[in-house]
Amino acid sequence: MDLRHVYVITKKELRAINAEKTIILAILLQLFIAMFSSFLIVGLAAMYDPDALSDYSRQQYPVAYTGSPSPLEGLLRESGDFVVYEMDLRTAVTALEERKLSAVIWVPDTAPDADNPVKITLYTIKNDIQSSVVNSKLRDVFVAYENGLRGIRADRISSDPIIVALPPEVPGTNFYEFVYGLLIPLLIFMPAIISAALIIDMITEEFQHNTVETLISTPITFAEMVWGKVSACFVIVPVQAAVWIGLMVVNGIHVAGIVPILLHVSVASLLMILLSTFVALHYRERTSAQFIFSTALVVVLIGVLSLPANPANLIVLLSIGAAGSEHWVVLAMMAGILALGMAALNRYMHVVEKTALQ
Amino acid sequence: MLSPLRQILTIGRWEVRRSATTMPREVIPVAVALFILLIVVTGYTQESGIHLQDRMYTAGVDSAETGDIILGDPRFTVYPGTTGERDLTVAPPEIRAVDTDRGNAALKAFRTDYTRYLTAQYNREDDLFAAYPLWIDIRYVRSELDFTATEAGTGVSGAPNPYANPIPDRPVRPVDEPSAEIGYTKEELRAELVISEGEDSTVARYTDVVAGEGALGNFKTPSQLTPPLPFDAIVLVFVFIFPIYFTSQFYMMSVMNERIERKGEILLSSPLRPSAIVIGKMLPYLVVMIAVTAILSLTTGETAVALAAVFPVILFFLAAALLIGMAARSFKELSFISIFFSTVATSYLFFPSIFANIHVISLISPLTLIIYAIEGTPFTLADYFYFTFLFWVTAAILFAICIVNFNEERLFTLHPLREKVREYIGSAVSEKYPFASLFGITLFSIPFVLMAQLMLLVLLFNLPMPLSLVALIFAAAFIEEWAKSIGIYAIAVERPAFLTWRNVTFASLAVMAGFLLGEKLLLFATIAQISESVFGAALFTSLQVLWLPLTLHFTGAFITTSLLKIFGKRCYPLALVIASVVHGAYNLYFITGGI
Repeated sequence: MDLRHVYVITKKELRAINAEKTIILAILLQLFIAMFSSFLIVGLAAMYDPDALSDYSRQQYPVAYTGSPSPLEGLLRESGDFVVYEMDLRTAVTALEERKLSAVIWVPDTAPDADNPVKITLYTIKNDIQSSVVNSKLRDVFVAYENGLRGIRADRISSDPIIVALPPEVPGTNFYEFVYGLLIPLLIFMPAIISAALIIDMITEEFQHNTVETLISTPITFAEMVWGKVSACFVIVPVQAAVWIGLMVVNGIHVAGIVPILLHVSVASLLMILLSTFVALHYRERTSAQFIFSTALVVVLIGVLSLPANPANLIVLLSIGAAGSEHWVVLAMMAGILALGMAALNRYMHVVEKTALQ
Repeated sequence: MLSPLRQILTIGRWEVRRSATTMPREVIPVAVALFILLIVVTGYTQESGIHLQDRMYTAGVDSAETGDIILGDPRFTVYPGTTGERDLTVAPPEIRAVDTDRGNAALKAFRTDYTRYLTAQYNREDDLFAAYPLWIDIRYVRSELDFTATEAGTGVSGAPNPYANPIPDRPVRPVDEPSAEIGYTKEELRAELVISEGEDSTVARYTDVVAGEGALGNFKTPSQLTPPLPFDAIVLVFVFIFPIYFTSQFYMMSVMNERIERKGEILLSSPLRPSAIVIGKMLPYLVVMIAVTAILSLTTGETAVALAAVFPVILFFLAAALLIGMAARSFKELSFISIFFSTVATSYLFFPSIFANIHVISLISPLTLIIYAIEGTPFTLADYFYFTFLFWVTAAILFAICIVNFNEERLFTLHPLREKVREYIGSAVSEKYPFASLFGITLFSIPFVLMAQLMLLVLLFNLPMPLSLVALIFAAAFIEEWAKSIGIYAIAVERPAFLTWRNVTFASLAVMAGFLLGEKLLLFATIAQISESVFGAALFTSLQVLWLPLTLHFTGAFITTSLLKIFGKRCYPLALVIASVVHGAYNLYFITGGI
């Protein structure tokens, strides 16, 4: 195989990618997916747990306390989130319907140490974003009251759990696992998946447009052509991954182990590209190849993620600086599989060349 | 000459035969094998779990009993002994975390595990009502006011007055005093508690602030009192949209195949109408999609509603597939445009339906209807119209554009995408009546503008409040200015001489009229509810006073067009930016209460 020929093809394909601006769409797509997942996590958390984004304002919500007196009323006032009114149930519910209140609480006259539990009725407005916020604040008060009641009934509890005195929650830790445990592996593997889909288009296009014959009538052989395409798809992966990591670092997200991360991504992406090259060479037609490849990809991804110490997990560990040296073993194993795959693909190319093109 | 219906059926039959014969034989068995493998792998994954965040934290514990609290959590590597550098050191009742982000995150992970440990202990308590002495029964009240009133997140009447009880305006309605009886046996409650204990998955880890809906419905312990995240919505979107996306790919490819090596020339030279070809080729895929949707809806129930809600979405996906198949220059372009389109469309359907019971924004996704139907929330035919209107209209417009352009000139030329879009729009401009065409183009661009703006709304929703509003205003202004000027740009490129000052003025007037009429028609009729929220105000200010938006739309279009005339088509992007800054500044001024 002449490496210069491979290089010529690589350069041609990269130029085509650049000219069609497909790479811009690809990057936009990745950006969009990042926004999508950030929205899901950050947006939802903020929606349901306003303290997650601090400074949501110390707004006080009007709630009505109805029914029998209990320590709950005091707890509600102490929390500082509520303005508590003592009202009768009917007036309160009507005021709630007019949105002059955020919630109405009705407390029965069950004794704190009764056999039965205390059943509080909470009236709230359906389909309302403010009610969601109010409910999550009410929950904290109810939990405090529950603990109080539990204390009163303590002699009836037989189990003896280990007591850990948890310090108060540190704000701003909500998104650590999301950023390192999901966003980083997602962003880093996206370019690999995109490249794997790209190679199918490149190869099947040559077959379906009948340009293969023209190409191999030049001094370039069939195998050189395919390897040229493979390397064009491959080189853009670590570049994109590096750009994502760079963006993370610029945004103040510290990423450790950048070099090993890039190595892992390179090996894994080349494996995926090899898989899709096999599929593309086998079907030589885009619809079938893309269909089979995308189904196979889902199987492989789910399968790999269910294994311990899989590459995605290792990238998480590397990015937070918690990986031991065992990741080199995994990398070496992957590289071994890769070498076998490359040899097999090379043979397969010659088979295809002989059977399909003569 | 065959009747149109016969033509469509003939093409449909050809399409079925073609795909049955050209598809390589082994595709079906391989696909079946992969599908079986997928089920096996998924089953295995459910057993072993997703190992993505394994061993993120280290913890040292003083005893095996303490270790048991976190032993089941794969995120922790547990070491015996409390010496040594660990993220977390637990020696009850003491707990110590390293003062780093990782340490704090480990502490947070421990907190959830510890809560689960306590819950598990209490759930097995003989006297369940000593362990769970407090139960909350939630009763939902329907607000008599329009629920858009408070959905911007702010209170209705400002800070509440702590010294005077609120007094309702209307006569007080009698309300039955709730009974103190719980209505469930101890064992029923325990069974439910034990079930919810097992609800620990990787998904739940992120959403630990939100709980699932238990079988007891609105009867909960205090710690379960968090708004339910409609997991149904998440599953639904993927269950229904994924097959649609997949099938539309085949249609897209079939259209693209006609263009390879000019294969479609025979079809075009036949007496068949382009509309018959396009619809006939679509028919088999449409039937497949409807069948798949019907089958899938058997699992969720509410087949009729599901079909009615998904049908316009199917049409929209097919219309887009047709356009992409007709416009893409190469397979690579086809892949990326289609993946990009489907990601955007899926999130457009997905985001809003998450808020099915919480926020009015959910009204823009037809899938919310399915969730409503499953949950038993009533909705009317008018609601169905609101939910699906945009999908019907945009699909119809896209089909119309594609049918008009389904000819040799468009199909067999390879122009860059931007050029192609310009050509498609140019095809709608009549030589004789350019202003009427501009009016029409602008009018029909409104549904797309609206979709794009709603998409923005959905995306920018999670930025902090003032920032999201400002970003939304300027981005929305940009989209509007773009839509308004695109017809003029198409003319200017094809006939630069068209841009005399007289024509610039008339063109801007035509665009202004088209935009305003479209906005009025669509917004007023369909989504008045959304437009009443604060975010809606940012998008749709122009509905309020008539002469102001008229001037605004005219000015915007005039700025872009005159810049195009003076500096030529190359400054189009810059002209757009300038026009949108003016437009956005106006809207900002308006919203912040300048008028």
